[in-house]
Amino acid sequence: MLRITGGKVYDPKNGVDGVVQDVCVAGGKVVASVDASARVIDARGMIVFPGGVDVHTHIGGAALNFARGLIPEQHRKARPIFHTPQCRAGIAGSTPTTFATGYVYAGMGWTTANEAAVPLISAKHTHEELRDTPIIDKCCCVLMANNEIILDLLENDEFERAKQVAGWQVWAAKAYGIKAVNPGGVAGWKWGKDCKGLNDVVPGYKKVTPATIIKALADIADQLSLPHPIHLHCNNLGAPGNYTTTLETMKLLEGNRAHMAHLQYHAYGGDDWYTMKSAAVPIAEYFNTHPNLTCDAGAVLFGDTVTITADGPWQHLLHELTGRKWGNLDVENETGCGVVPYTYKEKNLVNAIQWAVGLELMLLITDPWRVCLTTDHPNGACFWRYPEIVRLLMDKEFRKEQLKAFSDKARAGMVLPDLDREYTLGEIAIITSAAPARTLGLAQKGHLGIGADADIAIFNDVKDPMEMFSYPRFVFKSGQLIVEEGEIRNSIEGSQFATRPDYDPAIEDYLRPLFQQHYTMSFENYPVTEECVHGLEVHACNACVSK
Amino acid sequence: MTCTLGEVKNRADFIIYWGGNPAECHPRHFTRYTLTQKGKFLPRGRKDRTMVLVDIRETMSAKAADIFLQVRPGKDFEMLTILRALVKGQTVSAEAAAETGLTLEQLQDLVNRMKAAKFGVLFFGMGLSMTRGKHMNSAAALILAAELNAYTKFVAMPMRGHGNVTGADVVMRYTFSYPFGISLTRGYPRFNPGEYSTIDLLVRGDNDATLVLGADPGATMPKPAIEHLTRTPTIVLDPKVTHTSRLARVHITTSVAGISAPGTAYRMDEVPMPLRPPLKSPYPSDEEVMKKIVAAVQKKPAWYPVTRTGAQVT
Repeated sequence: MLRITGGKVYDPKNGVDGVVQDVCVAGGKVVASVDASARVIDARGMIVFPGGVDVHTHIGGAALNFARGLIPEQHRKARPIFHTPQCRAGIAGSTPTTFATGYVYAGMGWTTANEAAVPLISAKHTHEELRDTPIIDKCCCVLMANNEIILDLLENDEFERAKQVAGWQVWAAKAYGIKAVNPGGVAGWKWGKDCKGLNDVVPGYKKVTPATIIKALADIADQLSLPHPIHLHCNNLGAPGNYTTTLETMKLLEGNRAHMAHLQYHAYGGDDWYTMKSAAVPIAEYFNTHPNLTCDAGAVLFGDTVTITADGPWQHLLHELTGRKWGNLDVENETGCGVVPYTYKEKNLVNAIQWAVGLELMLLITDPWRVCLTTDHPNGACFWRYPEIVRLLMDKEFRKEQLKAFSDKARAGMVLPDLDREYTLGEIAIITSAAPARTLGLAQKGHLGIGADADIAIFNDVKDPMEMFSYPRFVFKSGQLIVEEGEIRNSIEGSQFATRPDYDPAIEDYLRPLFQQHYTMSFENYPVTEECVHGLEVHACNACVSK
Repeated sequence: MTCTLGEVKNRADFIIYWGGNPAECHPRHFTRYTLTQKGKFLPRGRKDRTMVLVDIRETMSAKAADIFLQVRPGKDFEMLTILRALVKGQTVSAEAAAETGLTLEQLQDLVNRMKAAKFGVLFFGMGLSMTRGKHMNSAAALILAAELNAYTKFVAMPMRGHGNVTGADVVMRYTFSYPFGISLTRGYPRFNPGEYSTIDLLVRGDNDATLVLGADPGATMPKPAIEHLTRTPTIVLDPKVTHTSRLARVHITTSVAGISAPGTAYRMDEVPMPLRPPLKSPYPSDEEVMKKIVAAVQKKPAWYPVTRTGAQVT
């Protein structure tokens, strides 16, 4: 039992904005009161936040592990995590090891993370990595927009059966939601091609287009009442002028719920790499007027990182552009994956625009409840750099200072110099915790109301937000003290959330023969069994979806 | 650039095996994944595929090949480099080609076929990765496959074997960032093949005890390494009596993974497969033994200074 007293509490979901009040914890949950025997945490001069929730990150899985093997030179420069009685050894850096991931997230006051891209065939591997990621709670989204069984069904207008297959796949992967990456484009990449426009026919098909796939999967996520809507990585990522594709996609999704992943990468104007500019304004204007959409920023920070995505064709292009190492891993019948180490440089026009667009979107989107703070870790920057973004959002003078590093041409392509908005602490609590929890449909996360999971981060109330959010004074996970004085004091195991949509079990009879024909393992070995998922917590599919 | 084996089954119309003898060393490879299977986009199976074997001698696998190219021993790197040049349309002299034991026409023909393939795959074995040039050969093979992607779809994959070696590689990577050759002596992972890899440690005599899990170094490693294993305490966990268990101080008999112990094995393409044991064993699994060892070790006080306040500084 625990009483946190004297701290300024920020709990946006319950309308608490910087009010000094007690937070009581018992049995891993927030409760109304505790008796006098409870441990008292004196939080005077500190602020109390609900634990951070990351809506889009890549912290475990075959693709990330492939990347780890590709960049030993980055690990050598990275921060080591020492073995202690509480902690296992590891390495932070751009692709933190499993144990390090848990420690570093918790060490920043973040307690839940959504691994955003899992191929079903290697979902078992992802769950094994997530099991070895301590402290934080995890969930994951299963890749579906290039799954050939689904695409074949859509080609034959068999939507209903595709829905059953999708429901089966979500549960078979022990996933929480549906992810779509470059719908159709990755399937095309299997033939060395791509799908840039929404109405291009997917290579290898006669009629299916990205638009068909996106609409179908959005409908499926809604009809199955998944707590998290379709998690969409749009077509034409990273290309100058791609904002038109993004706008078309958002228009297509009218009437559906949808989460637009790393929107920054999809909001560029211009005609080529030399004329690239920000198109955050048209994207944000459309977004602001369409409450069916949520997004995460996918912000970029300067420095070394490694890009990892299921978007194979884009990664091949990036490899040709940069001449850096390239890893590609195509996954049978389901998806692909590309890995390219990358350095974002201030002097590079494209990188400068990318940096600005991420911030512009967060500043131009008026409703903080619909935008989440992410860097698409590790693509835009590593998750442990979030406090830098918080400072950029909260301090316009600091932003102005940063803008001086760019060329006039780069500045002319941004709207950032004209934006004076500064985030308040309450708004930071929304974009780092309350909004992502709501977007994911995790009712027990992202707030400090009675009955919520007692995931709490307590920060020193200092002037510099970067310093404040880099080193929490205390972090509690499920009511247990994890971090104190900048040290991990206790390493517990987190839960893994999954959903079990309603589907017709007879769909297995349809899948089995197809599977034997197209895959290279037996059907019985394909789904992840419940025993394989450590700390499995199955959530109901009862999202309220306006039809 | 690689892929899972199902991609090869469904799409690969052009297959190269280089420095490997799958007919004898990976006997199910042809029939389950690569050659004879009917694929989704290759309905006629073997008839829709072309197979090339590059090796220094005509092995059993050559019978299965449409084209056999006999490279001169130790000239793999030269041959790969010439292929890369030809892929880019550069001029190569006939003498340079002759170095490899093949003619320029043969090499040009191979390049034309690689470029004309819809989906090509290059499997390379220890005949490439463990002979003269070693990792430089593997790098050249991977770069050749990467560069071919400017013209068509092309992937490469090492032919790994020896049980679940891929699984060990995968787990090491996600716990320590590196696949092998890791030292934890400073309390965090460091990677330096040649310094921390097993043979080098043993030959130099750096370690004063060895724990052997699911391997038989006593049968395969150089003599000085084996001598060090004999000289110092060696503990072996193995279901069977092996060369290593004979020279070990302690041999703990364990159950066989996949037959009497559950777990996960990784295929050479890093696809995880659950192991469902059909039999029960009186012996504990490797996992059970290791957990007991770890628990016993944890009871001992740490040998390093443990600070309770302040962040550790590197």
